[in-house]
Amino acid sequence: MSQPDAAFPDFKGMSEELYQQWEKSMTAWWDQVLESPSFLDATNKNVSGMARMRARYEEQVDEQLMKLHLPTRGDMTRLARIATLLEKRLLEMEDTILDLRDGMAARDAAIARLEKETIQARIEAAEARLELRARLDELAVRLDAGAEGAEPAAKANKPSPKKS
Amino acid sequence: MNVYTEAERLADLGQFLATDPIRRVQTGVSSHVVIHRQGKSAVRYFPPAHPDGQVRRPLFISMPLINTWTVFDLLPGMSVIEKLVAHGVPVYLLDWGRPGPEDVEVTLGELVDDLLPRALRRSARHARQHGHLAADELPDALGYCVGGSFLSISLARNPGLARRMALLAAPIDFHASGRLSSWADKEGFPVDDIVDGFGNFPKAMMKDAFAWLRPMGQLSKWKTIYDKIDQDGFPTTWAAMEQWNGDGVDFPGEAYRAYIKGCYFENALVGGGWVLDGRPVDLKKGTIPAHAFAAKADHICPPAAAFGLSKAWGGPVSTEVVSGGHVGVCIGKSFPARLLAWIDA
Repeated sequence: MSQPDAAFPDFKGMSEELYQQWEKSMTAWWDQVLESPSFLDATNKNVSGMARMRARYEEQVDEQLMKLHLPTRGDMTRLARIATLLEKRLLEMEDTILDLRDGMAARDAAIARLEKETIQARIEAAEARLELRARLDELAVRLDAGAEGAEPAAKANKPSPKKS
Repeated sequence: MNVYTEAERLADLGQFLATDPIRRVQTGVSSHVVIHRQGKSAVRYFPPAHPDGQVRRPLFISMPLINTWTVFDLLPGMSVIEKLVAHGVPVYLLDWGRPGPEDVEVTLGELVDDLLPRALRRSARHARQHGHLAADELPDALGYCVGGSFLSISLARNPGLARRMALLAAPIDFHASGRLSSWADKEGFPVDDIVDGFGNFPKAMMKDAFAWLRPMGQLSKWKTIYDKIDQDGFPTTWAAMEQWNGDGVDFPGEAYRAYIKGCYFENALVGGGWVLDGRPVDLKKGTIPAHAFAAKADHICPPAAAFGLSKAWGGPVSTEVVSGGHVGVCIGKSFPARLLAWIDA
């Protein structure tokens, strides 16, 4: 991009400034117009007139189509509306099914958790019994060992019969 | 000399526009899948993509139904969604779709009491199935613009759907929303004629209305691209914004009628007294913590309109101003950073 030349006036800067001033004054003017009650009233009347004209036009078109035994826009709209409401009912049914499915999934998860806990408890009980059994066996062995040790000692301590 | 530079600039602009950039630019390219559909609407799931595999609490986003969702995923590097998923947030985005003439009878009650809650429930279910949420946890929810107004109504009327709510540039005190509220005046605005005549509120009319909020904006838009045609990346961003801006969506007629009467005519989200489908709309019944983001230079929903949540909502409310305008806030750096801070809080 070239630099401003001192020998020439800054036309770009001047035009920019001119534009800014023009835009500012136009904005102020438009603000007055667009807030003016008479302008708004005229605009609203214009829009209203266009809308009424469109309504009359649609009525005329519908009338001609009916004379030709053809479906009107109203007929098509009604059909589409029925389809929309049917879709809504289907979605409501789908909502119910999804809720049921979620509920069943939650119930299945709860049952699975309960079953797991039950099995875990049974395993722990079995393990406790096995442990007890092992301890009992151990005690029995020790008791047997004690009994066997005590028997020779008892025999040794037993007074010998008097020799005649 | 400057004259030569301006000629060059003009040539560059001509060359740029000759490539039809507004039509060709690709927006909304972040990887996602649709997990739920109802009518024209869809819930789009953007999986978390944290480099370390971290996963945070899922975020449900209710977009405005008057525009397409791509403003939250405009371009790589300028995408709210990209920043969220990179932070490990699974994103569920409600895209309202494009209503046609057949949707003219869709009511506001259906949108806030059926479509939106179902989208939230399905998102939460999907998040639980993918291990993003525990069985008893709820996602956070964010609503942008009118999608935020709808989200607040929905969560107040249907409790137990979200853990917390954040709103971005979402009008609650509609009588504080500047020029739009003076235009949508009860005495003058012919909402009944519009809905009876046009059916849905036409996107062209909506686009014109937003353009007339800042009449000089259309001119300054072209001046900006002329001035910044040589800035790296700016033309693509400009084209993407233009594409999004021109890609409007019709507002379903009956829902529009109820929305204008309840929100703009009566300012009922703040004032109360609005009965929708036989049930009162009372934001005081919303008890979850809420956070309102407002954009500093927002001419559609000024901070005063967004912060109306403080007086209307039943639960604790915090407020925050972020830099940017109503749309620019989505592509700037300020909002995504503050949103991530809110998510981590």
